[in-house]
Parts: sequence; structure tokens; C-alpha cells
Amino acid sequence: MAVPAPDRAFLFEKGRVSMDVNERIKALEEKLIEALKKVEDHNDLQQTKAEFLGKKAEISQIMKHMKDLPEEERPAFGKAINEGKQRFSELIERKREEIRRRELDQKLKQERIDVTLDAPDYTPGSVHIIHRIVEEIEDLFIGMGYRIEEGPEIETDEYNFERLNIPKDHPARDMQDTLYIDGERLLRTHTSPVQVRTMLRYGGGEPVKIICPGAVYRRDDDDATHSHQFYQIEGLVVDEHTTMSDLKGTLLRVAREMFGSDREIRLRPSYFPFTEPSVEVDVTCANCDGDGCGVCKQSGYIEILGAGMVNNAVLRMSGYDPERYQGFAFGLGIERIAMLRYGIEDIRHFYVNDLRFNRQFT
Amino acid sequence: MKVSLTWLNNYVSLKGIKPEELSQAITLRSQEVEDLSPLVDIEEGVTIGEVTGCRPHEEAEKLSVCTVDTGEKKRTIVCGADNVAEGQKVVVALPGAVLAGGMEIRETTIRGVHSEGMICSLSELGIDEKYHQEEGIHVLDPAAPIGSDALEYLAFNDTVLELDLTPNRADLLSMHGVAYEVAAIFGRNLSIPDPELITSEQANTVEIETQTEGCQSYYGRVLEEATIGPSPRWMQARLIAAGIRPINNIVDVTNYVMLETGQPLHAFDYDALRSDRIVVRDAREGESFVTLDEEARTLKAGDVLITDGERPIALGGVMGGLDTEVTSSTRSILLEAATFDPARIRRTSSRLDLKSESSMRFERGVDPQKTRYALDRAAALIAIYASAAVRDGVQNVDRHARGPRDVTLSLNTLNKVLGSNYEAPAVRDVFNRLRFPYDEEDEVFTVHVPSRRQDVNTYQDLIEEVGRLMDYNALPDTLPTTLSIGGLSSRQKLRRHLRRTLSGLGLFETMTYSLRDVSRIDDLTLENGKPVELSKPLSREHHALVRTPLHGMVDVAAYNRARKQESIHLFEIGKQYTSEAERERLGLLMSGPYHHHRWRPTPPTDFFTLKGVIEALRQALNLPRFHYEAITLENYHPHQTARIYCKGKSIGHIGKLHPEYVEPQGLEDVYVAELDIESLEALQQEDYTYAPVSPYPGVRRDIALLVDDDVPAEALKDSLASVMPDRLQSSHVFDVYTGEKIEAGKKSIAIRLTLADPEGTLRSEDVDALIAEGVEALSREHGAQQR
Ligand SMILES: [Zn+2]
Repeated sequence: MAVPAPDRAFLFEKGRVSMDVNERIKALEEKLIEALKKVEDHNDLQQTKAEFLGKKAEISQIMKHMKDLPEEERPAFGKAINEGKQRFSELIERKREEIRRRELDQKLKQERIDVTLDAPDYTPGSVHIIHRIVEEIEDLFIGMGYRIEEGPEIETDEYNFERLNIPKDHPARDMQDTLYIDGERLLRTHTSPVQVRTMLRYGGGEPVKIICPGAVYRRDDDDATHSHQFYQIEGLVVDEHTTMSDLKGTLLRVAREMFGSDREIRLRPSYFPFTEPSVEVDVTCANCDGDGCGVCKQSGYIEILGAGMVNNAVLRMSGYDPERYQGFAFGLGIERIAMLRYGIEDIRHFYVNDLRFNRQFT
Repeated sequence: MKVSLTWLNNYVSLKGIKPEELSQAITLRSQEVEDLSPLVDIEEGVTIGEVTGCRPHEEAEKLSVCTVDTGEKKRTIVCGADNVAEGQKVVVALPGAVLAGGMEIRETTIRGVHSEGMICSLSELGIDEKYHQEEGIHVLDPAAPIGSDALEYLAFNDTVLELDLTPNRADLLSMHGVAYEVAAIFGRNLSIPDPELITSEQANTVEIETQTEGCQSYYGRVLEEATIGPSPRWMQARLIAAGIRPINNIVDVTNYVMLETGQPLHAFDYDALRSDRIVVRDAREGESFVTLDEEARTLKAGDVLITDGERPIALGGVMGGLDTEVTSSTRSILLEAATFDPARIRRTSSRLDLKSESSMRFERGVDPQKTRYALDRAAALIAIYASAAVRDGVQNVDRHARGPRDVTLSLNTLNKVLGSNYEAPAVRDVFNRLRFPYDEEDEVFTVHVPSRRQDVNTYQDLIEEVGRLMDYNALPDTLPTTLSIGGLSSRQKLRRHLRRTLSGLGLFETMTYSLRDVSRIDDLTLENGKPVELSKPLSREHHALVRTPLHGMVDVAAYNRARKQESIHLFEIGKQYTSEAERERLGLLMSGPYHHHRWRPTPPTDFFTLKGVIEALRQALNLPRFHYEAITLENYHPHQTARIYCKGKSIGHIGKLHPEYVEPQGLEDVYVAELDIESLEALQQEDYTYAPVSPYPGVRRDIALLVDDDVPAEALKDSLASVMPDRLQSSHVFDVYTGEKIEAGKKSIAIRLTLADPEGTLRSEDVDALIAEGVEALSREHGAQQR
């Protein structure tokens, strides 16, 4: 028989077996704790685990002695060993978690970014400010039950002038210098022909409640306040009981939608061949609130549109009986609205499309 | 119309009305006041002096040292004008006076001589040079009282109200008309005196004959023994206030009376007429006539000529002739007051570009009741201010219908149109103030419109008169009671959809001019055609209507590139204008980094970037699949351009612009596309179609092929789809390779297929069979070899 190992002698001291095992495990545990402190990474941990829990580990060696113990002591002995192994595992796993954690932290640290760096350019483009305002006005009127009508930009003298009560040689033709294509065809100088076309289509038998947006053209040299092409919206309501007060109330809503809910409007007599009476409409200057300033040329008001009650001659030429129907019409230039609203100083900006300009209305 | 308030005050008292109040009231109830300002912007310190001594300045050749008696003292004044001389009565600005333009007069020493004021020219008083031709200081007449206010003496102490007249109010082109208007606005009395004319024994023997409808009336008077000279100071000042240059007493009176009454007048040198006849006739086509501005005019048949029976003496209503002009040696005068067909005057004056004070009034129509009045008034003034004798009698032809126009308006109609609640007394008051006679029965007014108001012809015109004088701002704010359903048409919805989608994708909407240089009109289009051109173009750049929005967009790109903008991604809803139609077109342009990452690599923007935007748009609009077919198109890259089809119909094109086209504009790598909006609208599916999502997972397989380089990927995918129509969920090319290891003229292409059976899970052997079938089809149809 081989000389027993010193442990063995120690273990076999009668009557003290269990306690000795416990102490021994305890000692091993402290040794493990010490060993784990030196563990740096998973590799070290693997080694330490093999050292303390592997087949050759001391605790495994001790286990081999169980068969030498009296029957009645074996359960206690086994329990002590298993509990010990359990604790060792826990310690090792705790360490493993600690390493995993640390390594992850390390990895995340590598992923540190400068959160103030520029984002890629996913910014939206923009709808042109003129169309944006047109849509805003359209929506206001759709809400009031209007439909939106459109018509050709290449018009005839008949629809652009004659049916609007502006015969040839009428002084009012000076008010709108016209770009002609030939003797009969021209670029429309206003969107009013759409009103005529719509009334003719309706056939004189039903009310009309429309707005007509679109590009119009005048023989003008382009400068800061003049453009040979610009955008207009006209409105027309024809019914048996459409009044000038209805026009006034409607325009007040337009002015407030465009320039703010605290604006007031002012109607001044004017003249357009297709309306009678005719008015020009001013809105209180938003810059000075009506006190007078440079923007409004000290008047406190800024002209925004022209309007009036549809001239009976126009109704008649459009197939509506003036004995039964009456109506109002108005027209406003969108560029002018935009210029007033945003303080844009040059009408050409709208047509140049400098992206630094367009981008401001994203 | 520029209105002198001093003059106006002769007809209607402005007592108690501040000029600003007057201006405001006229703006709100009549016409827009464009300007309100003093005739001469000098408050005080300008007096009349007499030059009692004048010697050359010892140290300055061009200066004179004057002694000027200004009443309260004798002043030494250094003067630089050549025309200063002893004995003159002059205008002196005293120290402390602030002249027009802000120059303050101070006592000062000029080259060693102390000067106590300034002797003024008219320009220094703020009278524009167009109203006088004086060089140097203004010399007053010897009767000018020393020490009195010079501005008052010159009648320059006036305020001028400038009305921006609408073309309908011809009546306001006269002081009388303005007086009627102001009297109506303020409810004041009006006094317009009749002319006081004393005639001689001698009879007016001029025979007048009109042979044309173009002349509606012609009145003539003859004056003799006139002394031509300057008109009185007050008349000159009023003419200047009205914007007309004083010339001589005869011409000034005709202008003055025109301003007063609105009736243009003309004075002929009676002795220059070759007969004692006036014959008004149509001009003959091509006839020549020298107007008093010394221009030879070629006339047309529609022009109206005044002749002396032998030769033309005036272009009726537009301008007199040079031969019969009143000059300083004129003694006898034939004074004309006539009316002409407004349309014919308008045509003549527009054609000859001769817009005058007189043609402007004739075009708008003058009051036929004022013609005789104006003639007599002018004769009376010439009699006084040119010491002329007026021959007895007026010769005339007058075709105007007489009698007032009756227009009827009921109180009910008035309120129904205005939406007001006005009562009969208020309406009566308005008509009374307007001096419109009327009859009233059961609240129906029959108004006898005076001839001065040619613009009032219908009841709507009367409603305007009441509405404006009651102030439109007194009306309530109501909304139309018409019940209707508002909304957008499908085209309007589509446009909004396009705008939202494309701006969401990072594109900027542009708006560019429709008129362009005609020579470039077809540069970028699929189809060419006859351009629509202006008959009188604005300029070379604005000459013809565009055929695609792309032109303007390329300009926008060049403009922005020149300003260092990197990413230029644009869209525009524009039009293709042809003689037959206007078709809406969507233009797209992309150049420069898209979704730019800046500090890390960004994929280059190329054909496929723009194609991707188009495909995104297609999906957003719920349109069927697009097909792209390579084409060549002028000004486009010969190998990167395609026509776009949907459901077999061409709907537009996409391509890279040719480097030779864009480089001169400072651009490179510009991709554009154009889509026909009408086609997009027609292709839009009315609504979504739903199919349940299959619970069975799809199977993914990749196949790698070797095919001829010119086989389009789309053709390969189409073949696969036709072999396995109900199994192939999707197919994507995920790799294309040419070059090393691939024989010339071939390419390697890898396609990833997703296959699924909506009824169940596909078995592996079924997939294998389908793939084999697909590969077989690709080989058969495109000569593809599986790799
Ligand atoms: Zn203001």
C-alpha cells in the first residue's frame, strides 16, 4: 500500500471527518478567491477553473476518498464537496460575467462618437414659396366650399378682354400691357378668362363659387417690383344673392389668413372694366400696425388686391342673366403677398431660384 | 391729374379741411391720391428785392457783388449768375431760409466779400427745369413790391394733390370735375361761373365743315389784335402745378382752360390759314403731315385731319401743325374746341406714339356740354390777357345727341347688391351731393345723369356712386350663403402629391419663366415642333414659350453651381406650350451629392440616383411598373439616356446631359428627366388593391449568369417572371461585372430571386426545378450561360 498523502492522514482523523472537509474546502475557496483576483481575461479564467474544478483539481481529488469513508459519513462528505463545487462555480461565473462586462465596456468605448458631427444631408427639399402660398389660399377657399378652376395661359383676345368688357381701343387696355402671339392670341394678362370659361361651361343655370390660380403675363421690364410673369389667384362667386358685403367679409378672411388674425382691411373705390362697383383692398401694415412707416409709405395700409361686383355686361356675355344673378370677383398677386409677408425685396428672387433663397421656405 | 388746391378752392371752399384730410377722403371715396406736396418746398424767408447796385467781384471773375434792397435793409449779396444787373427785381433767399432740396441760406464770406443771402433762380426755388428755360436768376417784373413774400407774388404758395386716375373717370381730368367730386364728398357748395365774354362788331366768318364721323363736334371762334406775351403769374403757377410748361399767353390759356374744363383746345394762327374754312376729314392713307414738334408724320385712313380746305393744319385731337402754330408774331387766332371719336384718337396717338394731354382726354371722352363753354372761356381769357378782340359769333358743327341719360335704381336693388341697409334719405343725399337730378317714386330713383359723368350708364354705376360716397368700409363683413362643396380635382391632387413627395425626397421646387430664347427651345425635348413665339418679343431671352421646364431648370442649376452650391436637386411642374395645347410636364434635375454624408463617403450621384427618385415617385403615386429603354437624344449622353414607358405608353425620358451641352454653362454630371403629368394622372390607379400577406416564407436563390454586354437586365428579369409568374415574388440584380476574367463583349450578372407559393411552403426540389426552368429560358432567350 502506498504511503497515504498527508491529507489523507488528516482526513482520516476519526470523528472529525466532516468538519475537516469543510475547513479544507474553505481553505481552497480562499485560495480560489485569491487566484481569481489575478485573473485578467477569459483565458486565465479557464485555467483557474481547470485548476479548482477540473479533474485534477484538489476538490476532485478529495472526492475520490469518499469511497474510503464509513457508510454513514458519506452523505455529509458528499454534500460538503458538492456545495463547495457549487460555490467555486459561482465565484468563477461571477468573475466570467465581470470579464464579459469589462470587455464589452471596452468594446463600446472603442465605439465612442462625436455626437456633434454633422448628420448626412437627408433634409427635405421645398415646395416653391409661391405654390405654398397658393395652396394655403386654396385650402382656405376649399374650406369655404370653393372649387379650383384652371385655364390656358395662351388665351384669345375674346376671353382675355372682350368678354370681360374690355373692347378693342378701350383705354383700360393701357392698364395691362399685353404680350400678343398673333392678332388674336395672347398670353393672358390675368386669370379672369378662366372665370368666363367656367361661367360659360356652367351654362348660366347654377351658382358659381370658384377660385382660379395661375401664371399671367404682362409686357413689363423685369426689375425689383415688376415681373413680366407672375402668379395670380382670382375668385368668383355668382348667385342670386351674392353681395358686396360678402365680398368684404371674404377678403377680410383672406387678409387675416395671409397676414395674421389681427389685420384689418380697407376698401377704396377703383375701376376695373369687368367689375362695377370696383374696389382696391388695403390691409393694415403689419410693420407699423397702421401707424405709418416706410413699408406702407406712411399710409398705415398696404394694397393687396383688386375686387368688385361682376359687371352685368360680363355676366350677360358669360350666359348669366343679371336680372337674376349677381356676383363678386377679386384677384390678387401671389408674389406681392409673399413679398409683403416675408419682406422679400425683389420679385425676381422667385424666378431665379437661388437655392439659398428657396431653402428658407422648406 | 395734379390738382392745385388754391385753384380748387376757387370752385369749392376747402375751408376747415386740412390737405391731409382732403387727401384721405378722396382716397377712400373717389380716387387714389398718389402724392400731396407743396408746389414749392420752402417755408419762409424768400422775399422780393431790388438790385440797386452791381459790380464785379474783385477776386472772382464770374461773381458779382450786388447791393439788394429787400425793404427792411440793403444787403450785400454775392451772385454767380451772368444775368444779374442793376435795377432788376429779384427773388432773394434771406439767411435762415431753407431752399428746396434742403439747402440752408447763411450769411457767409465769399472770396473776402460778406454776403447776406442769395438771389434765386427758379430751379433753386424747386421749379423743375422742364417748366422754364431760364438760365440764371429769375427776374421779376418791375412792379414787384420790394420786401413782400416772393412765393406769394409768384403764386407758388400752393399745395398740389396728385390723383392716380382710373381710366373711366374722364371727368376728373378737369378742375371742374374734381370740384364736383370734392363738393360731393364733403357736401359743400360749388361755384363754377359762366364765362364773361365781350365780343366785337366784327363777325366770325369761318365756315366749318366736317366730313368724317371721327369728329363729333367742332366749334370755332376768331380773335384779332392779340398781343403775344407771357401769361399772368397765377396762370403760369397753376400750369406748373398741373405739370404743364407755360409758353405764351395764347397757348397757356388753351392749356389752362383744358385743365379747367377737360375740353382740349387748339389755337391756330388765323392769318396762316389759306382760306376762311375749316374742313375736317379722314386722312388719306400714306398722307404726310408735319406736326408742331417738327416731325413729318405718315398718316393712315383712320386718322382725323383738320384742314383749311387746302392743306392739313392739325392732326385732330392729337397735335397741331407746324405751319399754323401760334408764334410771337401771331396777331389773329382761330380758336378750336372740338370733340372726336375716342377710339380713333386712341388708335392714332398709340400708333404715332403721341400721347398728349389732349389725346389722353379725348381717348377717355370729354363732356360734350363743355365744348362751347371752354371755347368762350378761353376767348374771354385771351381777350383779357392778350388784349385780343373776340369776333362775334361761334361757328360750329355738333352731332352729339342732347339730353340727359336716365338711369334707374331701386333702393331694394342697391341694398341687394351691396348687402347694405341704406334708407332712401341717405340715397337722396348722395344724389344731391353729386348734383345728379333725379325723380323718385316708391323708392325707385330715376337719375338724369349729367353729361359730365360719361362713366355713369347703368344701375351698377349708380350703386358705385352711392356705395363709395357712403364708404364701402361701412358695409358689414358677411360670407356668401351659397352652399357648395369645395375640393381639388384629381390633377390638382396629383400636383400636390408630386410636390410633397419630391420635396420629401430632398428636391427643391423651382419656378422659372415660360418665355425663352427661341433658338434653344427644343434643346432638351423628346419631340421638336413649331415654337409659339410672341409677335413683339420682350427681348431675345423672353421670346417664345418653352417646350419643357428643363430649360429653366438647367439655368437654375448653372446659377447655383456658380454660387458654390454642391447639391442641386430640382423639380418643376411646368408646361410644354405648343400651338395646339399646353401640356403639363414634370421636370427633374439632379447634380451633385445626394444625401450627402460630407465627412464620410457618399455614393456618387448618377443615372440611377435619379432613376431611384423616379421609382420612389412612381410608388408614392401608386403607378404600375415603369420600363426604361435606352435611346439617343440630342444634347444627351449617347449611352446614358432612356425613354420611360408605362403600360406600353411613352411617358417621358431620363438621361445624363451631354458634357458638351453642360460644360459651357459651368456644369458637369447633370441628370434630368421629364414626365408627362397628364399621362401620370391617367395611369394612377384609382385605389389600392389588397392581397393577404402570405404566411409561408419565401425562398431566396441567387443565380449568376454570363450574357452579352448589351442584354438589358430588365429583359432577363422579364424572362424569369414569365417562366414563373405566380412563384416569383421579386428579383433584383445584385452584381454586375465586366473586365478581367470575363471575355470581351460579355458581362457577368447575378440575380437574387425570391420565390414563394402563396398556398404553402415551397419544397426544395420545386425551387430547383423552377430555377432550372428559369436558367433554361434565359439561355434560350438571351444566350445566357449559368456560371
Ligand atoms: Zn407701415
